[in-house]
Amino acid sequence: MLEIEDVTVRFGGVVALSAVSVRFDKPVNGIIGPNGAGKTTLMNVLSGFVRPASGRVSGDGEALLPLAPHRRAHWGLRRSFQKEEIADDLTVFENVLVQIDHSRSPARTKTAEVEAMLTLVGMAERAGKIGAALSGFERRLTDVAKCLVGQPRLVMFDEPAGGMSVDESRQLGALIRQIHGATGAQVLVIDHDVELIRTICEDTLVLDFGRRIAFGPTAEVLDDPRVKAAYLGTEEV
Amino acid sequence: MRLARYGNWLLWALLMAAVIGVLGWGGRPQMVGLFIASGLAVGSLYALAGIGIVVLYRATGVLNFAGGAAGAAGAMTAWQLTAWGFWEPLGWLACLLVATAITLFYGRLIAPRLAWRETVVKAVATLGFALIILGAISFLWADDPRSISLPTDAIGVRLLGMRITATRLLLFAASIGIVIGIWLFLARTTIGLQMRALASDRDLAALMGIPILRVETIAWGIAGLLAGFTGLMFADLIRLEPSVITFMVIPGIAAAICGRLENLVVVLIGGLSMGVIENMLTMSTTLRGVRPIAPFVIAALVLLYYQRGQRLTFGGRD
Amino acid sequence: MRQLFHVTPSGWAGLATAAFGILVLPSLANSYWLSVFTSMGCFLLAIAGVAFMYARLGMVSLTQVGLMGVGGWIALRLNYAFDFPFEVNLALAATATMIFGWILALPALRMRGLYLALVTLMAAGGLEILFATFQFPNGGAGFWGVQTGSGAAFRRPWIAQSAQAYLRYVIACALLGFLCIELHRRLQPGRAWALIRRSEAAAMAAGVNVTLYKTWAFGIAGLLGGAAGALLAGSLGLLDDGTFRASESVMIFALAVVGGAHSWQGALVAALLYKVLPALLNIWGVDANLSFVIFGAGLLHAVITAPQGIAGQLLDGLRRLSPKREAKDA
Repeated sequence: MLEIEDVTVRFGGVVALSAVSVRFDKPVNGIIGPNGAGKTTLMNVLSGFVRPASGRVSGDGEALLPLAPHRRAHWGLRRSFQKEEIADDLTVFENVLVQIDHSRSPARTKTAEVEAMLTLVGMAERAGKIGAALSGFERRLTDVAKCLVGQPRLVMFDEPAGGMSVDESRQLGALIRQIHGATGAQVLVIDHDVELIRTICEDTLVLDFGRRIAFGPTAEVLDDPRVKAAYLGTEEV
Repeated sequence: MRLARYGNWLLWALLMAAVIGVLGWGGRPQMVGLFIASGLAVGSLYALAGIGIVVLYRATGVLNFAGGAAGAAGAMTAWQLTAWGFWEPLGWLACLLVATAITLFYGRLIAPRLAWRETVVKAVATLGFALIILGAISFLWADDPRSISLPTDAIGVRLLGMRITATRLLLFAASIGIVIGIWLFLARTTIGLQMRALASDRDLAALMGIPILRVETIAWGIAGLLAGFTGLMFADLIRLEPSVITFMVIPGIAAAICGRLENLVVVLIGGLSMGVIENMLTMSTTLRGVRPIAPFVIAALVLLYYQRGQRLTFGGRD
Repeated sequence: MRQLFHVTPSGWAGLATAAFGILVLPSLANSYWLSVFTSMGCFLLAIAGVAFMYARLGMVSLTQVGLMGVGGWIALRLNYAFDFPFEVNLALAATATMIFGWILALPALRMRGLYLALVTLMAAGGLEILFATFQFPNGGAGFWGVQTGSGAAFRRPWIAQSAQAYLRYVIACALLGFLCIELHRRLQPGRAWALIRRSEAAAMAAGVNVTLYKTWAFGIAGLLGGAAGALLAGSLGLLDDGTFRASESVMIFALAVVGGAHSWQGALVAALLYKVLPALLNIWGVDANLSFVIFGAGLLHAVITAPQGIAGQLLDGLRRLSPKREAKDA
């Protein structure tokens, strides 16, 4: 369960997030909004790359803001960036292994876990392939596998389906829906693909100009006139 | 945030007063004054080198390690022309022209090929260029001791009971004047505005139709002029030795770091302070031998101070 | 873990070259070339440190020769102050240089990569001044240990007293240095470094303590640099401040890039260029200052067109000649 309270972020004179409060307790949640709404900034706050001017964030009751970014990862936070960050000179296996390198489990356990998650995403046969030789979709799958190892508690995706075909998008969506069952982790997804959000997210948060303008079951939120106005503009002058 | 900034300046003032007080203890006020005055002159050199680095870095994203080398080339040209019997001011003009030409050459012909690489790579490339220039200078001129003198060296000005060379005064006034000039240029002229836009967000500026090539050329030109002037003054005040002048970028970097590679006023004050502290260390028998490393130690401490309580944060691009 | 001891074709070539250097070279060279090659071996070790940091993490250190000077100074001082065997002096010098390097780099390790280049360049300038002021110990009294005229001898390793034996010793040390780096690369640090190279943010998100691993990498570079300096002291018996100027640190970084920072072949090319080229230029009567021009132009060229350096281009050419081999070994 992720609780975000009153988070405000300022970059110089620009207010990127304004007193955003939301509680995510469903397995898969979406964050949508027009460009510049603050979605990635919110995720950066959760990751620890941006320090909010005020506010609190707690995951399963534990305060997250005091933790350094890499310690949040140890806590169980996972982040898949807009551009998949897969090291070119590591193999698929090694790329996933990095995520649990810090843990003190024996090597055999770690190997087993990496292989298990690679099998889940469908990359097990290509485990020895070097990062530079992967296609965009393979990189994204490796990225997902990396997010699943090491008992994740919160997995965040920032526009995971970017640059993918319809089939790949669907495959990815199905995979994301399996995450909670396979690992018990909660999932947050930012995306512009409304169909994807509608299909996989139970609750959705809508941001616009750094403010929360709607939150709740996805179907209701997408039908909310305020949300439509934010995306399409209103007739009012 | 305002309060924090005033707090920093207060801290600086207190530290400077403390250092001068401790080092100058027991010395005649006039001697202390002389050390401060010549410290301000050397500090002006550091500040000018730093300002050249920062202005260019903000406008083009290139951290130019070759500024010192360009200045050295200019200074050697000036010396050579004077040695051949030409009228001295022609030598000074040649110094500025040579340094600007070398810098523009790099800026127009080599820098564009690296435009989309990361900052460190661009900086490393200027190192290569600096080596080329230094090698060429050492090849063209034999390793003999040389000196340059300006007419202002012979003129002494009486100030507060001390006799200060006009050159030093000129340098100090120039450093302040140049900072004001650049500030006005950036704040009041169209090109200055465009330069600030470029510094703020290069991609966006390009999309908005800012004439990048023209603005950058002007930035490189300014950097070249500064390098030439600084090189000449360095040669006069300290030593006309190509490798020494080339590596004046190092204290320049120290001053630039004080200003966090962006704030010209802090670069100026930082450079001046470094010069003063370095000179004041002459009065300490224990630390006298290592005073040239003062700028570096100061820059390292300043950098540590800026980082206190921070972790790496990513607001935007590198 | 079978991956750990797998030797790539490039690795075999490296071991073969080291074997040649240890077994064959010392008997072939006359005393002039023995000292050039020994010097080259020391700088090879230092270049390995600076190159791997740049290639694997994008970290630029412009003070490696300065750190060599620190290692050399400590080795000399220990030699005259105590009666430890050479290996102890070497280990202590290397470790102390590693710590010294950390102190130097501390202001920059948490900041953007650019600042490390700036801070190390400042450090190089500072070290140049310190070496020029305090010189190197040669048996004199006091902390700085400098006296006019030559002092007592510098004790070489018990197993490597002669010039030939010492060359073997130095090459063996260089080999150990490369193996140490390769070991790191194949284990956890290597994985963390690769991810840091890709994106520091991604590395953090993957649980990598970026500052720790950058510090670790810099520590290795410092360790190797310090060891190289101590070995150089052993080779020459005394050290001169002119060897450790800031320009030299800039040069070997430039050459590391020119030679090719990604491979041991590149480091070897860099060491050859640094030591052998000026010697050759001297013999041919060409002005040594032109080496600056050549190296600077080489650096520019490498940065603009050939990021993998000369070695990279050569290896690419070899690969193209044998189309069966896939580009799998790094």
